[in-house]
Amino acid sequence: MDVLEVKSLNKVYPGNVPYRALNDIDLNVAKGEFVGIMGPSGSGKTTLLNVVSTIDRPTSGHVLLNGAAPFRLLPEGLARFRRRELGFVFQSFNLLDTMTVVENIVLPLTLDRMKVDDMMDRARQIAEKLGITGILDKRTYEISGGQAQRTAIARALIHQPQLVLADEPTGNLDSKSARDVMELMSSLNKGEGATMLLVTHDAMAASYCDRVVFIKDGRTYSEVHCGDNRNAFYQKILNVLSLLGGNGHEFPTIRV
Amino acid sequence: MNFRQFAYRNVVRKKRTYAAHFLSSAFSVMAFFIYAVLLYHPDLQGQLTSSSATASYLATMGLRVSQYFIFIFSFLFLLYSTGAFLKARKKEFGILLVLGMTEKQRMKLTFAENMLIGLAAIGCGIGVGLLFTKLMLLASARLLMLEEGLRFYLPLQAVWMTASAFALLFLVVSILTIRVGYQSSALELMKGDEKPKPEPKASIWLSLLAVLLIAAGYAMVFYFVNKQAYFMPLLALAIGCVVLGTYFLFTQLSVYVLRALKSRKSFLFRGINLMTFTDMAYRIRDNANMYFMVATVMAVAFSGIGACLSVGDPGRTEKQYPYAFTYWYHSEHGDQAEGAVVHIDEMLKVEGHSFQRAQLDWIDTGHSSYPIVSLTQFNKLAGIRGFDPYLLHSDEWLIASGVFARISGKFYNEPVIEALAMTQEGNGQSSLRLKERVDEAIIALDNDVIVLRDEEIARLIEKGAVSSTVMYYAVPTWEKTLELAKQLQSDLPVDFAGGGQLSALAIEHYHERQMNGILLIISVLVGVVFFTFAASFIYFRLYADVERDEKQLGMTSKLGLSPKELGRLMTRQLSVMFFLPFLIGMVHSGIAFINMANLTKTSMLSNSLMIYGAFLGIQLLYFLLIRWRYLSRMRKKLV
Repeated sequence: MDVLEVKSLNKVYPGNVPYRALNDIDLNVAKGEFVGIMGPSGSGKTTLLNVVSTIDRPTSGHVLLNGAAPFRLLPEGLARFRRRELGFVFQSFNLLDTMTVVENIVLPLTLDRMKVDDMMDRARQIAEKLGITGILDKRTYEISGGQAQRTAIARALIHQPQLVLADEPTGNLDSKSARDVMELMSSLNKGEGATMLLVTHDAMAASYCDRVVFIKDGRTYSEVHCGDNRNAFYQKILNVLSLLGGNGHEFPTIRV
Repeated sequence: MNFRQFAYRNVVRKKRTYAAHFLSSAFSVMAFFIYAVLLYHPDLQGQLTSSSATASYLATMGLRVSQYFIFIFSFLFLLYSTGAFLKARKKEFGILLVLGMTEKQRMKLTFAENMLIGLAAIGCGIGVGLLFTKLMLLASARLLMLEEGLRFYLPLQAVWMTASAFALLFLVVSILTIRVGYQSSALELMKGDEKPKPEPKASIWLSLLAVLLIAAGYAMVFYFVNKQAYFMPLLALAIGCVVLGTYFLFTQLSVYVLRALKSRKSFLFRGINLMTFTDMAYRIRDNANMYFMVATVMAVAFSGIGACLSVGDPGRTEKQYPYAFTYWYHSEHGDQAEGAVVHIDEMLKVEGHSFQRAQLDWIDTGHSSYPIVSLTQFNKLAGIRGFDPYLLHSDEWLIASGVFARISGKFYNEPVIEALAMTQEGNGQSSLRLKERVDEAIIALDNDVIVLRDEEIARLIEKGAVSSTVMYYAVPTWEKTLELAKQLQSDLPVDFAGGGQLSALAIEHYHERQMNGILLIISVLVGVVFFTFAASFIYFRLYADVERDEKQLGMTSKLGLSPKELGRLMTRQLSVMFFLPFLIGMVHSGIAFINMANLTKTSMLSNSLMIYGAFLGIQLLYFLLIRWRYLSRMRKKLV
């Protein structure tokens, strides 16, 4: 069964010159799948992610999450839907700097008024998996970028959402932290069976996915599947990217 | 675009940022200007002096002192708000430094901007003040009961004084704040407020000290009033203690309380509590200073208005001294006085006023500080006030409550009984039994009065007691007797030694109204100005955080914060901001009111309730307005 079903999705930004950001996009994500979305700047990746994450409304088309249509919901219901069914990881971490690490992690649960003992148990478990047990009581400005992103991932996963949405999660990290974070996401995907949708510029990050969908000018362009070999997959991604934009200098020269 | 244009555009294009700053500056200029217009009005002083020297003195002093107050607080206020704005612009300065602006140029820029706003505020304040001058003069003339009114005049002196005073003030503020936002590296500036502040530390001792200081301050004030230890340094020390205690209350104790709340996990991790309290703890350091200032300013405003209102309680004279004319004379001037009484009677008849009069002889035995009157005379006086006569058996006597006792509602029989006992003893007479205390407004004297049967009085006079006589006139149409009263006062001898003394309710009432008018003008203007400052402090604080709030709430809404929860979150945060300092200011001024009431032996309950009610109403309106604006702005960031 598909967790996410996007059917003939259109998004037009109105204005004197209306701009069509998404053009007839179809996308299905199966349960437990790790899907990457790539494309040059301005191709509509982030718009697609925003619509899927119910932050933005589509002009036409369907978005079904587990068979339900979130856009039918009123604002209150939509907020509840987001806090229960979706998890977010952002490029700039978006941790609340007024809180400690553990407070940030359990925020979605407190909004849902879960029992304190249960949420603390869960926080401990997930922190162990992500290797951030030692920093739980630190404030957000006391931890490194990699730790911050792992905190954000913990926050995105703690309520066991149907779908985790990641927007350039490695964009603000150095290459070592980026690799750690991607490996972590991949292992959570395999181990916990979390369904993930990743938007990225970075071919290295994308190579951790099961499948990468390429978008250009608001249309799906092509799709690459990961076989057994991640190196070959990485190469395939690079090839499509060079076809797509033709900007060879965008790609890292070092191969993983 | 030259440098000055750059500064000008910086200000003009950030209208909204500067609106509150500008408006409250302009407002204080206007209030200062209005005081100056009154102070320098050519007719006001003359008319007030002609009617009463006290009123004139009070007006001059009151207006002066309020001007100083407004000036000093304007200075502190501007210093704070200008500093706050410059801090909020760190990022902008960082960019400018990167583009190659020198530190000197940056100083020049902020200086130019500040002076620009200052001059605009002076211009606007005086301009609007001028527009309202006529209206204000009309209102003042009415409040002060000036017959000739106050004519409109072009208050050049007031304009000149206001403009120069505030120009100087803005200049000093601009110079003092010039270094705000100075940072050695542009990077630090550009990061600006992105760098989160560490959680504030609070010491348990200072938190305890806060409570202790406030308690000690209160205790000292109570001691000052109740033990009648009228020692000014003590009062100053008390105020100092309370102010310092309030400062620690907000900077230390509040941090402690918040930390205690936060450590209760079952409380913290429920719904929006987590966001509310972590956010409060995060901001407490910034907010504490603001809370402290607002609480202090509000306490000052409340107490000031309360003091003014309690001094001038309208209608107090009329209720307690109900006789239109009172003519006092020493018994030895009896012949002269009779002529005067006949003269007053005639004048009243000529003018067509119906009247009743009664005579009281105050017996002074030299043994008691309470005057003694005879029952017959007392009953006659009670009769013209419309009360039934009182009866006494041979060994009985009465206490008639004086004005102090009637106002305060506190009746102490003991000293009066003792005084009478002394008198009786001094004359070798047997002691009497107190029948009752008469609380009706019959005696128009501050102290209580002893009422004895006529036989006892006769015996006292035999023993050589001297007496003075008072003739009381009750005139139902006394309100129309102002001219007559003035005429009589000039006809009759003025001082007691010269034969007799006439006091008229109409004149007293007139003076009272004038005093009240002056006090009302002063207190309302000062109160309003202070309240505006307090409101602006809150606005600046909110404004400084608005972008951060937008970002954080936008973020949280992606995580599933619903619009309703946002509303509740904002309401909580804003109500703490609006009403916590208000409450503390209320408590402080409440203590002040209790002591003022004890000191002046009057009830301040209705006055204080009125003040709190009015300000709470305004504050509530302001709260709702800001909440509405802030929420609608935050909702835009919701997804």
